[in-house]
Amino acid sequence: MGCMKVRPIFILFCVIKTMDMLKNTFSTVSKKPFKVLFFIFLSTVIAVSSLITGVLAYFAVIEFPINGSTSLITGGGLCFLFLLLSRGFYTLQNWARTSFISILILILLIILVNETFKFSSAVFAGKQVLSIFEILKYLGQFLFKLILSGVIPSALLYFLYKAEEDFSETPQQRHLFDRTIKNFLLSTALSSILIVIFIFAFTLQESQLAIKDIGLEELLTGTIWRPGSIISNDIAQFGLVPMIVGSIYSTIGAILIGIPLSFGTAILLAEIAPDFLRTIFRTAIELLSGIPSVVYGLFGMVVIAPLIRQIPAEGNTTGFGILNASIILSIMILPTITNITEDAIRAVPASYREASYALGATHWQTIKDVVIPAANSGIIAAVILGISRALGETMALIMVIGNSIAIPTPVNDNPLSIIFSTARTLTGNIAVEINYAAGAHRSALFFTGVLLFLFLLIINRLANRIMKGTKKI
Amino acid sequence: MNHTLTNQEKMMLAREKAARKPNLKRRKISQSIAFTLMWLMGFISIGALIWIVGYVLARGFPTINMEFLTTRPAGGFEGEGGISTTIVTTLYLVVLTIAIAAPLGIGAAIYFVEYANEAQNRSKFVRWLVRTARTGVEILAGVPSIIFGLFGFAVFVSFLKFKFSLLSAGLSGACMVLPVIIRTTEEALLAVPDSLREGSLGLGATKWQTITGVVLPAAIPGIVTGIVLSVGRIISETAIFWVTLGGSYRLPQNLLSSGRTLALHVYMLATETRAFDKALGTAAILIIIIMLLNLAINLSSKYFQKRLSGK
Repeated sequence: MGCMKVRPIFILFCVIKTMDMLKNTFSTVSKKPFKVLFFIFLSTVIAVSSLITGVLAYFAVIEFPINGSTSLITGGGLCFLFLLLSRGFYTLQNWARTSFISILILILLIILVNETFKFSSAVFAGKQVLSIFEILKYLGQFLFKLILSGVIPSALLYFLYKAEEDFSETPQQRHLFDRTIKNFLLSTALSSILIVIFIFAFTLQESQLAIKDIGLEELLTGTIWRPGSIISNDIAQFGLVPMIVGSIYSTIGAILIGIPLSFGTAILLAEIAPDFLRTIFRTAIELLSGIPSVVYGLFGMVVIAPLIRQIPAEGNTTGFGILNASIILSIMILPTITNITEDAIRAVPASYREASYALGATHWQTIKDVVIPAANSGIIAAVILGISRALGETMALIMVIGNSIAIPTPVNDNPLSIIFSTARTLTGNIAVEINYAAGAHRSALFFTGVLLFLFLLIINRLANRIMKGTKKI
Repeated sequence: MNHTLTNQEKMMLAREKAARKPNLKRRKISQSIAFTLMWLMGFISIGALIWIVGYVLARGFPTINMEFLTTRPAGGFEGEGGISTTIVTTLYLVVLTIAIAAPLGIGAAIYFVEYANEAQNRSKFVRWLVRTARTGVEILAGVPSIIFGLFGFAVFVSFLKFKFSLLSAGLSGACMVLPVIIRTTEEALLAVPDSLREGSLGLGATKWQTITGVVLPAAIPGIVTGIVLSVGRIISETAIFWVTLGGSYRLPQNLLSSGRTLALHVYMLATETRAFDKALGTAAILIIIIMLLNLAINLSSKYFQKRLSGK
């Protein structure tokens, strides 16, 4: 019975309290500048409408791209976010303004990307690019649409931008902002190590199947690569030895041809050549390192292969093979080795050379007996990095090495003829087969990747260590 | 017969050795031989460059005309058609990759240069973090592109189900150019004199205001150099995009559709068709683009040096 008495009073109390609150709110709200009021209103409207849309989509009252529980969660989340924003605007927080600006910029970006895709699809996607007048027509349409759809977000952006002085920022908040920025930057700095970890984790995880089903022994010592039967694994064989041998042969060939060339060039540039020639050579070598690997591959196919074909030797048939690959690779690793060697030679103190000259040594004796031994570790690092580049190179080698999966063997016991035989590298094996591989086959390719990654990681770290050691001198 | 040498024989040997000791003339001759060899090596290296660039340009130029540039490749064994869509796709991919990699790379470089030293002194954990992050950049710079491709294939194409698409390719490509951007930006930031920072801090600006208002504007040419360098890497990269971008010759309609860049087009023309002249034409265009980018880098670095030296 007591309840019955209390209830009306309670309700009345509530109503009065609410009225009071509303009045209070209204009076504080009305003190705020119009722009801020507008944004409070806007965020609230967006919050309410996203909630309603979410709920309606959940009960399938309206058609919406997302439905089911995801729509409810999305709607609720958006509602919460915008209510938070509206509260932020209400208390004149600077972060609310900043987040609203970022949302607007995001919207503008999405509109821009969308319209750009539409525009360039209309102009370029056809069999023939449209004539200039039609391009102009589409350009006009593109700009018109861009302005039309971008006008509301841009206007809001402009208002928010202008309303800077309405928002407060205490020293604490400024400090907090600086700390947030700092932590954010730290996270971007950590992104590269994260990528390294991800690369390792994902390739290793994908290669689990190969290690389990095929076994490390078969992978590393098997001499036959025949992924042919994907359905029944018992016939397929996954030995990586042919590819390992192919990689090693082509790298050795590249080193044999490339090292004399790059050492000669490096010594020439660091010690002998006059300055103007050095500038020209350096620019040229820079260009050499920038040329896409496919261009080297193409050059190997159309120029080097026919030249090799003309060599009268046993086993020389197509011109594609280890010799061709070595020649192309040696040109590709030339910039790396030359640059690092030249830097190492230049880092040798001038006093060494002067002492040698004072003892009556010639320029060449100085280079041979003083400068090069002093630059030794840098030169070793250069060679290691050259090897690492050669092992990692992919597309150019696919184009010139012939891609046979047999172990390269000499013809008629003539060991020299091995340079004419075709082969396949570890990297090439991955690139050629990954797009259609499945199951154990795919996993074996990922295992190849892990192998390469670890090996190159170790030798790169080694080279870096050696180079850092030289810098300390 | 191993008998011990008599004194006389020893003396004779010593005299012979002294006679063999290179005199100046002999040493001069060996020097000129060695130097000739060096010059030869140098000219072979440059000759290789001139040969490759000259050959590709000379064979490629006759193919390049308005029609070649404005027609879509048609696929097939004959490699018909031009390269219009591949140019646009390359452009898309460059913009997308830079849009992903540049904020990350520049942010990381800002942290390394502006915050790391100060933060390192505060806690051991942060010092460890910074050192790990630096190691990460070093390792990433040495990873061969096919591994990035494999990673992109595993994560973006299969795991996240982006399929062969611009988005997968852009994300994988961003991993590749990240160390390039970090290193060049770091160098550019380090080249900004400390007096500029001190002046700004002295005026009461916060650290972040100093960075955005003073340091970054001063370092912009250097950062642009890094970005141009990465653009060159993206344009010339094939292995990553071969396993993440697919290779459709049609124009991508959105971020999730497959495409073909110029370099990829060269590869596919060379390996799957007989249209070597068209491959050479496309390669010539690639070389011209790379040359222009190199020129831009040289010019911008010269400008940067001039500006920092205050002339």
